[in-house]
Amino acid sequence: MRLTLNINRFDPQTDNKPYGREYTVDWEQHETVLDLLLKTRREDPSLAFRRSCRSSICGSCAMLIADRSQLACHTLVREVAGDGGSLCIKPLPGFRQLKDLVVEMDPFFDALKRVLPWVITVPQHNGLVSQEDSERIEPPATCILCGVCDAEVRQSGSVTPAALVKNVRLAVDPRDALGINRMKITGLTEEGLQTFRELLASVCPKGIKLPPVALE
Amino acid sequence: MIFHDVVIVGGGLTGLMAAVEAPPGTDVAVISKIYPTRSHSGAAQGGFNAALGDDDSVEDHLFDTVKGGDYLGDQDAIEVLCSEGPEVIRQLERMGVPWSRTPDGRPAQRSLGGAGFPRACYAADISGHVVLHTLYERALAAGVRIYPEWHLVELLVEDGALAGLLVYDLATGRLEVVRCRVALLATGGYGRIFRKTTNGHANTGDGTAIAYRAGAVLADMEFVQFHPTTLCGTNILISEAARGEGGYLFNAVGERFMARYAPQKMELAPRDVVSRSIFQEIKEGRGLGNGYVHLDLTHLGVDKITRRLPQVNDLARIYAAVDPTQAPIPIEPAQHYSMGGIRVNLSCETNIPGLLAAGETANVSVHGANRLGGNSLLETVVFGRRAGRHMLKAADHSSPPRSSLELALARWQAIFSAGKPQEPGDDSASAIRDAMSRTMTDKVGVFRTGEELREAVEEIAALRRRYGALRVPAGEHPFNYQLIEHLELGCLLELSEVTAGAAYRRTESRGAHYRMDHPLRDDANWLHHTLVRRGGAGPVYEAGPVSITRFQPETRGY
Repeated sequence: MRLTLNINRFDPQTDNKPYGREYTVDWEQHETVLDLLLKTRREDPSLAFRRSCRSSICGSCAMLIADRSQLACHTLVREVAGDGGSLCIKPLPGFRQLKDLVVEMDPFFDALKRVLPWVITVPQHNGLVSQEDSERIEPPATCILCGVCDAEVRQSGSVTPAALVKNVRLAVDPRDALGINRMKITGLTEEGLQTFRELLASVCPKGIKLPPVALE
Repeated sequence: MIFHDVVIVGGGLTGLMAAVEAPPGTDVAVISKIYPTRSHSGAAQGGFNAALGDDDSVEDHLFDTVKGGDYLGDQDAIEVLCSEGPEVIRQLERMGVPWSRTPDGRPAQRSLGGAGFPRACYAADISGHVVLHTLYERALAAGVRIYPEWHLVELLVEDGALAGLLVYDLATGRLEVVRCRVALLATGGYGRIFRKTTNGHANTGDGTAIAYRAGAVLADMEFVQFHPTTLCGTNILISEAARGEGGYLFNAVGERFMARYAPQKMELAPRDVVSRSIFQEIKEGRGLGNGYVHLDLTHLGVDKITRRLPQVNDLARIYAAVDPTQAPIPIEPAQHYSMGGIRVNLSCETNIPGLLAAGETANVSVHGANRLGGNSLLETVVFGRRAGRHMLKAADHSSPPRSSLELALARWQAIFSAGKPQEPGDDSASAIRDAMSRTMTDKVGVFRTGEELREAVEEIAALRRRYGALRVPAGEHPFNYQLIEHLELGCLLELSEVTAGAAYRRTESRGAHYRMDHPLRDDANWLHHTLVRRGGAGPVYEAGPVSITRFQPETRGY
């Protein structure tokens, strides 16, 4: 099968603004969008995009594919190829485009720091964590920091979406000295948190479902 | 020019553990070719071995590891690994690692291959991921300076000691000189020398190859682990945890064929044994399709698969279009781990003063000729911690650095600025890389022969000549991946040469190195490490002694 990729290109050294460039590529049933990008780069080595694990765990290749933010390696071509055999790929929205599909990630990682993103271990904690607590921690701990939720979810609280996921992961950890008090920094109402929970579950490549967490 | 007391190259488990374990107040920087949370440590699934169970013991862990490595592992190093393991796991617990738990709240442990006891601490099947993120959190807490997307280009050695690093900043396209008192290489493995590998695109062994060019001694490069269960075609890893949780391997005629090769351990024999068994089945005509077997989890039930193996469940669905709760997964062995690496002592010191190495980058030889599942993650944190605590003591206090870094900078700048875009019809890095990785997979794989290895050595040499004639892509542009891939290919070719060369030299079979023309282990002639250093006319090989303290070599059977 053959497909036309329309890839948003931008080189800060030569271009005033981004433009779409078309590439024709062959593809097979089992292939991902990342596979197509890798083939395209063989033909045009100047194309810039990030990738590493190609198995949905490193979070490098988040981008806008067919108008939706997702991981290129987690997106099967057969699920997004349009009827006319074309596919539009752009950089992750809400992030500054540095070159082609590469966006600025430093502000994203810096935003995590607002929630003190580490377990502030209770002194003399005995190291035991119940299975029930462990099962609450696990879903938000699967976050790969890919940036898709920051790109897709406009939420009203005072921390960014990925930082909120990290904050919930820490708030439900019995080893953490701040624990549930961490939720105060989010400025969220119960309703706002529930809305976020539903949006996150619908956009997150890892399908993270945030556990129940009290705001008071 | 940038200066830090301590520079760590690599932001995976080893590098981050070293960074957070450096003495308080130390000026530490981490240089990483990708953002640290993107490191391939995060793709590790199964768990971290440690003798924590009431019935388990450090002694048993030690013995399993020595036997698993076919008696080539250094027993003094293995003793460090196994005896520090439980303490490091408790430390990770305090750092906030979200382990899966036993009913009484302790870290849960599962069985992995070659172990006499369920001793791998895990978090579902994302064990590497959760520890990588926890250590990244601790690095933020400790204020570690991180330089993401900076690539190591050259290590500078003056008067025999490390003087600094030459590094390429991908975002700006600029070369930078980084001086330090001591540097640690924690750049992981080099699986990308093979066409079929579980490793990510970033795993090109830059640290290993660049240290080798700078005069570091490498060891045991012929020992390459092929993981038995990778998705047929894409070679995406399906964790050994799938068999640890009870998964079966079946051939085309529906036999649990491991009964023929490892009647006691069955599917949980060490990886070298299972990978050879799979290929033997395929060779004898009992493979499926164009050469694979089945990993069957269906009898485990939906609940166990979704709770214990959620990632395996997803990977099989997305990348193989198989629902593993309903149907077996088509799998084939593929390169997974590099037992070889930069030779280091128990303090992670290389032969170059001021340069340390740890983790998969290094060869302290805890894995010998074959690594056991769960031992590499343990190695990253045990030896990452040792490196972090020891680094300042290893700092070089000799004469102040002279001009070699600036000269190297000028040399590389000239190379980069002389580059031109490639033209149609030119030879290309991707063509050379395809040929290299095909040669390595076809001729330096699970079953090896002297004839094919000799061919591989010659083919790699020819590819190196082609590489030398390539035009370097123009340098100083932001996000110039073409240049990066050019530099990475140079590293991959360097490591292919010594991997094939060392495999050709070793005329015996031991662990993961299986010579069909020399099918038996030969302790009389080959119970030693292969050391290699870069000479003027190519690799220079010699033998190095193996530390044997408690366990004398015995016949290895499972």
